[in-house]
Order: sequence, then structure tokens, then C-alpha cells
Amino acid sequence: MTILGLNPDELAGCVGCGLCLPHCPTYRVTGLESASPRGRINAMRAVEGGAPISSEFTAILEACIQCRGCETACPSSVQYGHMAETAMVAIATRRPITRRVFDRILYRHVLPKHYVLLLGTWALVVAQRLHIVPKRFGVPPISTSSLRRSLSSDAFPTVFLYTGCVMDAWQRDVHRAAMKVMRAMGASVGLPGHGGSCCGALHVHAGRRSDAQRLAVAVVASMPGEIPVVVDSAGCGAALKDYGRLLGTPEAIAFSARVRDFTEWVVETGLPKMLSSNKTVVVQDPCHLRHVQHAETSVRTALSASYRLLETDDDALCCGAGGIYSITHPEIARQVRDRKVAAIRAAAGSDEVTVASANPGCAMFLSAAGLDVRHPAELLAAVIEEDNE
Amino acid sequence: MTAFAELAEQIGNATAVEIMGAGTQRGIGGAVDASKPIVEVRAPTGIVSLDPADMTVRVLAGTPVGVLSAALAEVGQECPLDPENSAATVGGVLACGCSGIRRIRYGPIRDRVLEVRFITGGGRLVRGGGPTVKNVSGYDFPRLMVGSHGTLGMLVEVVLKTQPIANKSSWYTSELAPDLLRTSIYRPACIAWNGKMTYVLLEGHEIDVLSQASELSLEPAQPPPHPIGEHRGRISIDPTRIGSLAKSLGDIKVPWLAEIGVGTMHVATNNAAELHDARLVAHGEGGWLLREAGAPLLDPFGAVPSNREVMGRIRDAFDPLGKLNPGRLPFARFTP
Amino acid sequence: MGRGRVRAEPLELILYQSDAGTARGQASVVCFPESIDDLSFAIRAANRHCVSFVARGSGTGLAGGATPVANSLVIVMTRMNRILEVDPVGRVAWVEPGVLNLDLTRSVRHLGLHYAPDPSSQQACTIGGNVGTNAGGPHCLSAGVTSAHVLAADVVLGNGDIVRLGGLEPDAIGYDLRGCFVGSEGTMGIAGSIAVRLTPDPPETRTLLADFTSVDAAAETVSGIIAEGIVPAALEMMDAPITRLVEEFVGAGYPLDAEAVLLIEVTGLIGGVDAEVDAIRRVALERGARQVKVAITEQDRMLLWKGRKSAFGAIAKVAPDYYLHDIVVPRTRLVEVLKRVYEIADEQNLLVMNVFHAGDGNLHPLFVFDGSEPGIWERVYAAGDGIIQACLDAGGVLSGEHGIGLEKRDYMSLAYSAEDLDAQARLRDAFDPDGFANPEKILPTGSRCGEMKRAPEGTWV
Ligand SMILES: Cc1cc2nc3c(=O)[nH]c(=O)nc-3n(C[C@H](O)[C@H](O)[C@@H](O)COP(=O)(O)OP(=O)(O)OC[C@H]3O[C@@H](n4cnc5c(N)ncnc54)[C@H](O)[C@@H]3O)c2cc1C
Ligand SMILES: Cc1cc2nc3c(=O)[nH]c(=O)nc-3n(C[C@H](O)[C@H](O)[C@H](O)COP(=O)(O)OP(=O)(O)OC[C@H]3O[C@@H](n4cnc5c(N)ncnc54)[C@H](O)[C@@H]3O)c2cc1C
Ligand code: SF4
Ligand code: SF4
Repeated sequence: MTILGLNPDELAGCVGCGLCLPHCPTYRVTGLESASPRGRINAMRAVEGGAPISSEFTAILEACIQCRGCETACPSSVQYGHMAETAMVAIATRRPITRRVFDRILYRHVLPKHYVLLLGTWALVVAQRLHIVPKRFGVPPISTSSLRRSLSSDAFPTVFLYTGCVMDAWQRDVHRAAMKVMRAMGASVGLPGHGGSCCGALHVHAGRRSDAQRLAVAVVASMPGEIPVVVDSAGCGAALKDYGRLLGTPEAIAFSARVRDFTEWVVETGLPKMLSSNKTVVVQDPCHLRHVQHAETSVRTALSASYRLLETDDDALCCGAGGIYSITHPEIARQVRDRKVAAIRAAAGSDEVTVASANPGCAMFLSAAGLDVRHPAELLAAVIEEDNE
Repeated sequence: MTAFAELAEQIGNATAVEIMGAGTQRGIGGAVDASKPIVEVRAPTGIVSLDPADMTVRVLAGTPVGVLSAALAEVGQECPLDPENSAATVGGVLACGCSGIRRIRYGPIRDRVLEVRFITGGGRLVRGGGPTVKNVSGYDFPRLMVGSHGTLGMLVEVVLKTQPIANKSSWYTSELAPDLLRTSIYRPACIAWNGKMTYVLLEGHEIDVLSQASELSLEPAQPPPHPIGEHRGRISIDPTRIGSLAKSLGDIKVPWLAEIGVGTMHVATNNAAELHDARLVAHGEGGWLLREAGAPLLDPFGAVPSNREVMGRIRDAFDPLGKLNPGRLPFARFTP
Repeated sequence: MGRGRVRAEPLELILYQSDAGTARGQASVVCFPESIDDLSFAIRAANRHCVSFVARGSGTGLAGGATPVANSLVIVMTRMNRILEVDPVGRVAWVEPGVLNLDLTRSVRHLGLHYAPDPSSQQACTIGGNVGTNAGGPHCLSAGVTSAHVLAADVVLGNGDIVRLGGLEPDAIGYDLRGCFVGSEGTMGIAGSIAVRLTPDPPETRTLLADFTSVDAAAETVSGIIAEGIVPAALEMMDAPITRLVEEFVGAGYPLDAEAVLLIEVTGLIGGVDAEVDAIRRVALERGARQVKVAITEQDRMLLWKGRKSAFGAIAKVAPDYYLHDIVVPRTRLVEVLKRVYEIADEQNLLVMNVFHAGDGNLHPLFVFDGSEPGIWERVYAAGDGIIQACLDAGGVLSGEHGIGLEKRDYMSLAYSAEDLDAQARLRDAFDPDGFANPEKILPTGSRCGEMKRAPEGTWV
């Protein structure tokens, strides 16, 4: 067993060519080798070669947004994300005790427990009204009316909509829009049963792999059967699609194969009838949609039927949100976002622009920079032709 | 003993040498310091090998450009050194570093030289570069030698990159302002302007030359006349400032011909003082004037480069005793 | 320099010990200048402490140029990455050296202009690094390599002085110091800002794919095209193993059963382009091409190029280690040298793949192997020696675009006489008399005919 538990072959796969550098958001804004994929891999190599797991090493890996833009860019198919997750496990077990207690509370008792999150969200709503939430956290105003109404499941579902934790708490309107579209397409939409409330993605990124595995088992159990599992949060979708590898069981592999991003499902099922809109939309590719799920084309197919779509000329670089990254590394995150916002504005030119983003984290982070951000489900719901309403 | 070795010995033993080409251009650079006993040396002549399938030619530096051009033309190729006088030698043209009139399409002559062999002031035969069209092995001696006015070494042999002769080459005149013409035309071989008329040289496939000419209503014409006068100079200036320099030259009534997009302006006058005035005007626009002929009292360059210290050290490195063309590049001496 | 611009954490230093090549060194300190004054300040500080320094762009160099030896200070140029000025009429851009090559082209695309040198690493490498190595690329066949596109540079010399080399005027007074500096791999100082020429986009572009049942026929076609008097914008060749790999990877539509393919691009005005396409097709068919496909639309052309540009990456999947060579031979000797490359690979029982700039005669034989196999590196090095010898025998040169750096330094004496190398050493010393700028690179030790100047402290001579 190596120190970080990395597979030596996987580590050797990086030839150090540096072609990934410009695709790494943290490298782009810092220019530091230590904030680049190649640098992080070399740092892991150094530790495997005997260097200590120092605070320097920890900081290097923690400054990674885990957007996995480097994987898409790497011609040698280096599995950076997997290596980083593995290394994070080794780091997590070596953290100081106070940090471990804090992490334990956050990852074990807040994220997986839906009611705690909802409670927290209500607290946040109050705090926002009192103007005591620092702006740099990038938390958008939360709609109270949305939180008051809960979602309802159809009988005899033909498809599940996975609701998640943060997403359900903060963007329940998105679920509503997704359900509207799915129903208009003739589907009966089911919601996950008990225990399926947190996908575990944040746990994986923080190196809490066993917590993540526990949550994954519960999620799999909460949506039994063979019908598709549709996810309208790119981050959760990527996590669910990776359960096969995370758990390694036949059930998990079969489950992962059922998972579709919302727009993937829409396109596969056949686009509904839509009205055309005069809105100009810039597509922002959430990293976990593009670099992990590789589902960036379906968003475009679905939206281009009604909207005028524009592309950014920035290699679809990350927006900086990265789960809780924008809170743990606000300075880098802000600089990454500045680049993104500039790219979006450059693409839009003088047009009024709406940004389509399929990930709640990205959406919140970008709206905090003053952009009008909509989930593709909301954009589709707005143009759908309804026969029966 | 080979010709190169003999020359090397001759230079090594001399106190001072003047490197002679065809003598068409001895007015470029300072006069050679006559206070020392000068030995005149000439580079050997002849084409060593001409490889049309590789588009390169190895030629001895004393070969007249006219001879080289004729040999290349036989295989449908050329090397656009383009001196005014085809008696000029390859070594002389390269040593002066003056690019020809088709520079905007084919690049400066420094981009043509692939390999050089030269004899340093110490009498050593040195080779730099290589015969291939692409090369980054070691420092770029070919570019260093181009425009060094024979003060770093005597060129004896060079390898040049050739090109196919275009299937059509015609001069035209145009009513359009030169800058406008430049942006509406794709890769002309030359755009020349003298304040009254814009001239353009188109080269390439016949269909393209003719269709561009008709699209832009160009009139077939003779090449532009160079300004005439016994005192001649060549101004180098940021090409975007040609317009304002042209105006200033007009004010002092010195005739000029500008290569648009390149920044070379040819000036000539029969009054040496006017060449000096033209130089001052050029300095005012951030450029400089090379005396090409006449005006013997005029400083050959008229300015000292800001990095003369480095140049002086380079000179010392190749010609520590300062015996090669002494006086020709007056500023390239390093006195620590 | 401000806080955060100088760093020396132990792990961080390890990350700067090499570029994309195989040589490893050791850095003492790393710094990140944000202006040319910072740069000059850093170099002066290094002078005071008698420490040598080395410039680093993106570290994609393959020859060890940016690898620190002698405990050098590593000066990283990534934070000097502003495009300072673009003049669309004069077609000139002033950029800081840390600007990425492709970023520059992107930023001027809307003006109908581009920056011509396009190394395969163009997405990642910096203009400063390109100047350092005089980088080339597929489209440099007709456009010329970096040196033909750099007009001027503000350079900080080894003693911290800032000088302007070249200028926007066509000729500078005196020696062409700009020409000397480009390709000097940071041994003559560090560029702090660079003026480059921008090139107008061609009105017409055609990309041709010709496939052959023998490598010789493809190589003969290359010479044939040149002999016909055609200089295409690009003329690239891939042999069978690499073609198959690439096709699996990107599905560009390359034939799987071909022994070699040529990727050819012609640009210009329609008359010339059509004539050249016809002539190239004829030359290729006469020499045994099975098929010549012509892609006209942007999309089809991009797909063909995507294959070529991913070649390097696809290779990395075959085996964990590779050794990439970079030699240039006269184009008329291509067939025989290529043959020799395959023979050498056979003799050493190594897998070799070839994907290269055929139009320039610039070969990139690439050995793919598993470095953990006992004795393999010896065979790889022996094959490398053989290839270099074959190249020099055919009148070729040591490097076409990657440079000499550390990796080829000791081959220099095979290519040049002692007097040639002595002259090179003197030229370098004229720029940097104290030898602080990127020591130990390019010239083998002992190049200076017994009149070695002062060596910087800590150098291993
Ligand atoms: C009106 C006019 C216009 C011109 N326009 C152009 C033009 O458009 N394009 C162009 O290219 N040139 C032009 N020239 C310049 C000229 O034609 C050449 O640069 C050329 O003259 C030099 O050739 P030469 O053999 O006569 O050299 P010389 O006059 O004999 O010598 C010129 C210099 O080169 C040195 N030199 C000669 N041979 C060698 C050698 N082997 N090694 C090292 N140094 C050597 C000499 O010492 C001397 O300093 C023009 C000249 C005139 C008068
Ligand atoms: C996959 C791949 C493909 C490649 N394809 C090509 C190709 O097609 N053509 C090609 O030519 N090369 C190619 N290369 C090699 C490499 O990309 C080039 O050499 C490139 O120019 C290096 O740029 P860099 O910014 O990474 O410089 P670095 O590697 O950081 O440095 C290169 C050299 O330049 C010096 N340097 C850096 N900045 C400066 C500065 N500001 N002033 C002075 N010197 C400086 C350094 O000291 C060093 O000697 C390839 C490399 C890879 C990994
Ligand atoms: S991760 Fe991939 S792209 Fe990045 S340096 Fe390693 S091999 Fe190259
Ligand atoms: S995952 Fe994203 S932030 Fe992390 S190294 Fe890769 S590209 Fe950079």
C-alpha cells in the first residue's frame, strides 16, 4: 500500500506535458504550478516518494476546485479526479482534531439530514433579511414562497426525479420546472423515498469516502426498480453516475446506468413541443456536466429549439463555485468567477443575456455576480406548449 | 590549402582588412579607416550546390546576385535578395542587410539565410546555422551576420532558402490611399507610394493577380521610379508613421518613395544638406536614416543604438583587434 | 517584490525542477514578477547573491531549457500575461511574455488576424517560451517560425539592465540582436515584453488527406510537392501505428489500413489554391496515393486537424514512457532517413512512431516504451544516438523546434567544430558576461577553447 493509496500506474500516466494547464481555473488565475493539475499530480508523486503530508501539501490539494477540466483536456486520459479524491482521503484522516469534529458535524449531521438543512435554510432566509450574510459567500436571495410549498410525487412513476439536499433546499423552483416539463412530456414523476436526500458528492471531494459510500447505498435504495433516474443538478448527477465505481456492487453499477441528466433525458425521450423565444442565452457548462458526465451537447440541443444560444470562448472553464469551494477559498473563487463573467459578457456583446446553468452551485455563485441565471429546466418550462392547462 | 584556409590565414595575419564585394555599395557604413595598412580581401565565387527539390542553394559569398539569379531561374526558382544592381555580391547584400522591395510578401533577407560560414577577425573559419529550412541548434549566426557590415567576419559561403518564381508578376497603380489598398488586398508583393501615386506589385497565380487587379480597378504600370539624386538614404520607420513622415519630408521638399506596411522610405537629393534634414525629420518620427550613397560628410547611421554596449562586446568577441572593415560601424567598439 | 511573489516552500520547489522533458534539476527559490521592473529587480537580486537564474513560461519545453541547474532562481513568467496593445492596421501586438500562444490568436480573431506560429502545444505554451525556443508548428512551413514573427523585445539582460532589441521599424541600427535573442533559450536574458507580427487570415483554405500503402511513397510525395514548386501552408505526415491510434481516439476519418498519411493544407486566393490542390493531387496519385480527400468546410478541416493535434496524447496511452526526438534533414533526404529510423528501432527492438512536419524535413521519431523494463533506457538512448548520427550523416541538424537545452547539449560537438562552438560561447558571453542567465544550457561544457570566463558560484563545470 502506498502512502496516499494511489495506483502507481495511474500516477505514472501523467507525462508532464502541461497541456492541461490552461484548462485549470486555479492555474489560470494564479499562474502557480502548485495550483495546476500537473503540479498537484507531481505533489502527490513527491508524497508517494517520501515527502511528508505537510500543511503545504494539504493546501495544494484543497485549493483544487475538483472541476475536472484537466481530465477533458488531458490527451493521456489521466484520471486526475480519482487520484485527487483518493489523496483527499489520506489527508482527511490526518487532519487536526478540531477540524475533524467540525467536518463530522457538517458532513454527517447537516448535509445528509434534510430537515436540518431546511432549518438552516430558513435561518439563512432570516439572516438575509437582516443583512448579516457576507456578500462574498455568494448566496443568492432565497424565495420563501417556494420553500413553503412542497413537491408531490405522481402515482406509478415512469421516471424518478432526484431532488438532493442543497438543491432541494435552495432551488425548489427548479424541481418544479423540471417536473412540469417532464409531465408535459407524458411522464409520471416519482420522488426518492426515505434516505435518498444527499448524494455524497461533497463528501467524496472532502476525502470522506466511507460517509459517501453509506449515503450512496441509501440513495440507491430510495429509488428502486428500473425506471430512469433524472437529476437536475449536475453535481449530484455526476455523483450518482459514479456510484458504480464508488460502491463497486452490481446493484450500484446497474443504478448508475439508469442515471440521466435532465436535458439528456429530455433529448433522449424526444423534445416536447416548444414555443420560440426571443431570449438570448449563453450556456454555462457546469464542470460536472461537461467534464464528468460529458453531457454538454444535450443542453444545447434542448435549448436551441427555442432560444438563440451563444457560446463563451474560454474553453468552458469552471465558474469557481465548486460545491463549498467558494466559501473555503473565496479569493480564488472570485477571480475565477470574474473570468467567467467576463467571458459571458464578451459572448453576449451588447445583448441582454440569460445564462443557462444546470448546477445549483454555479447558478447561485453566478447570480451573486449580478447575472440572470436560469436552470435549463426553467427555460424549457417557460416555452413549453401545454395542452391541458 | 583550400581557398577558405588561405583567406583565413590572410585575415589572421593582417592588421586591417577591407572586405570587398562588387563595390556597388561601399557608401553604406562609415569609410574604412585609412590610417592602417589595409589588405583588401574578396570572397570566392561560385555556386556550390543547387538543390531545387529542397529549395535551397549553397553559394560562395563573392558570387554576383545576377549570376545566382540566372542559375536559379533555370530551375524556375529565385531568392528575393533584389539588389538594385545585380552585380552586387551575395556577401555584400547580406552584409549591408538591406532587404529588397518585395519584403512585405517574402520577408526580410535575414529570414532567407539558413547557414553561414565566415572568417573572424582572428582568422578562424566558423560555421553557424545549418542547411535545413528549420533549425534551432545553437545561436543564430546567420541572422547575426546579416547587416553586420563585414565587421564580425567575412562571409565566404552561405545557404539560402529559395522559392518558386511566381507564375505572374505585374506592377499596377491605384487611386486608392495606400493604407486602404493594403487592407483590401491579400499578400501583395509590394505597395509603394510617393505621395502622388500608389503602386502595387502583385505576384502569384495568374487568375488571382488578374482578378484582384480588376476587383480593385488597378491600372497596369511600370515599377515606381525611385527618387533620383546623388545623395541617397534609406529611412527605417514604424510603418504606421509613414504618413506623418511623408508630410514632413514634403515640407522640406525631399522626394521619397515609401514601402507601405514595411516602413522603408527611400530618399534622394542632389543637396547633401537636405539628406541631413531628412534624417532629422526621420528622427522626429522615431525612425533613422541610413546613408546609402553620397553625402560623405554625413554620419553613416546618424544615431547610436541604445544597446551599443552589447554590440561592442559582440564585436570584441569576433574581431578583438578591430581589424575587419575598421570604421564602418563606428559605434560597435567596446571600451570597458 | 511584493509578498507572495517569491516562494521557496519545499514541495513547491520540487514542482519547478523540470519542464516537460526528462531532465531534472533543483531550484533554490521561485519568483513571479508582475512587471518588467519586478523582473529586473529579481535578476539584480540574484546577481547580488551570486545565484544564476532561469526563465520559465508554461514549462512545456521538451529539451530541459527551463530546468534549473546549479540551484538557480526560477523566474516564472505566468503572471506577466497581459496583451498590452493590438494595432490592427500595423498588424502588430505588444504582449507580455506569459501570454499563451492560443490566447493571443483568440484575442485578435475578430479582426481577421492570427499569430502564425502554431506549435502543437499552442494552447498551453507562452509567447515568451516560444521566443526562447524559436518555436515552430505545422503552419510554419510557409509562414516561417517564431523568429520571422517577432519584431522587437524589451529584454532584461543577465545583469538586470533593460534593453530594447529590434524595433517596429524594419531594420534596427547595428547588429540584429533581436535575431540572436530569439531561440537563445533564456541564456541571453529574459524577454519582458514582446512585439509580434499578426498575420491576416487567408481567404481560402483547403485541407487534403492523402493515404499511401507505403511510407516511402508518402515521403517521396513530400519531396515531389516541394520539387513541383509548391510550398503548402502545412505538410504533415503520420505513419501507420500513429494513424491507427489517432483514429481510435478521435475518429477523424483516417484510413486504418494505410501505411502512411499526409495532411496537407493550402491557403491563399482561390486561383492559386485550386491550382495547388490539383497539382498536389496529381503528384500524390503519381507516387502511389490510394486516395486524396479534400476538405473544404471549416468543420471537415477541423476534424482532420484534430487527429493530427491529438497525436501526441494518443501515444501516451500505448505505454507509460516516451522519448520524442526532433531532427531536421534536407527534404530530399527524407525517404532514406526515415528508413534508417525504422531500422534503428528494429535493431534496438523498440516501438517507434512518426508524426511530423514533413514539409520542413522536421522528423519527430517517437519511441514508446515501458521505462520499468530492465535495460530499456539504454536501448532508447542508443537508438537516440543512432538517429542523431543518421540525421547528421544526411546533412541534417540537431533540432528543428524544441531546442538544445540540456538534453541535446552534449550532441552539439557532433554537429559543430570546436571553433564553431567557441564562437557561440563568445556570443553568449557578449550578452551575459557573468554567465548568470540559464547556465549550462545549449553549449557543452568546455566550449570555450580553454579561455573559460568566470563561472557563477555553485555551477558544476
Ligand atoms: C539606389 C540603391 C537602391 C538599393 N536598393 C536595394 C534594394 O532594394 N535591395 C537590396 O538588397 N539592396 C539595395 N541596395 C544596396 C545594394 O545593392 C546592396 O546592398 C549591395 O550593394 C552590396 O553588394 P556589393 O557586392 O556591391 O558590396 P560592396 O559594396 O562591395 O560592399 C558592401 C559592404 O559589404 C561588405 N561585404 C562585401 N562582401 C562581404 C563578405 N563576403 N563578407 C562580409 N562583408 C562583405 C563590404 O565590406 C561593405 O561593407 C541599393 C543600393 C542603391 C545604391
Ligand atoms: C505536447 C507538446 C507538443 C509540442 N509541440 C511543439 C511544436 O509543435 N513546436 C514546437 O516548437 N515546440 C513544441 N513543443 C515544445 C514546447 O511547447 C515549446 O518549446 C514552447 O515554445 C515552450 O514554451 P513554454 O512557455 O512552455 O516555455 P518553457 O518550457 O517554460 O521554456 C522554454 C525555454 O524558453 C525560455 N524562456 C521562457 N520564457 C522566456 C522569456 N520570457 N524570455 C526568454 N526566454 C524564455 C526558458 O528558459 C526555456 O529555455 C511541444 C511540447 C509539448 C509538451
Ligand atoms: S495531467 Fe495530462 S495534460 Fe496534464 S500534464 Fe499530465 S499528462 Fe499532461
Ligand atoms: S480539477 Fe479543476 S481545479 Fe482541480 S486541477 Fe483539475 S482543472 Fe484544476
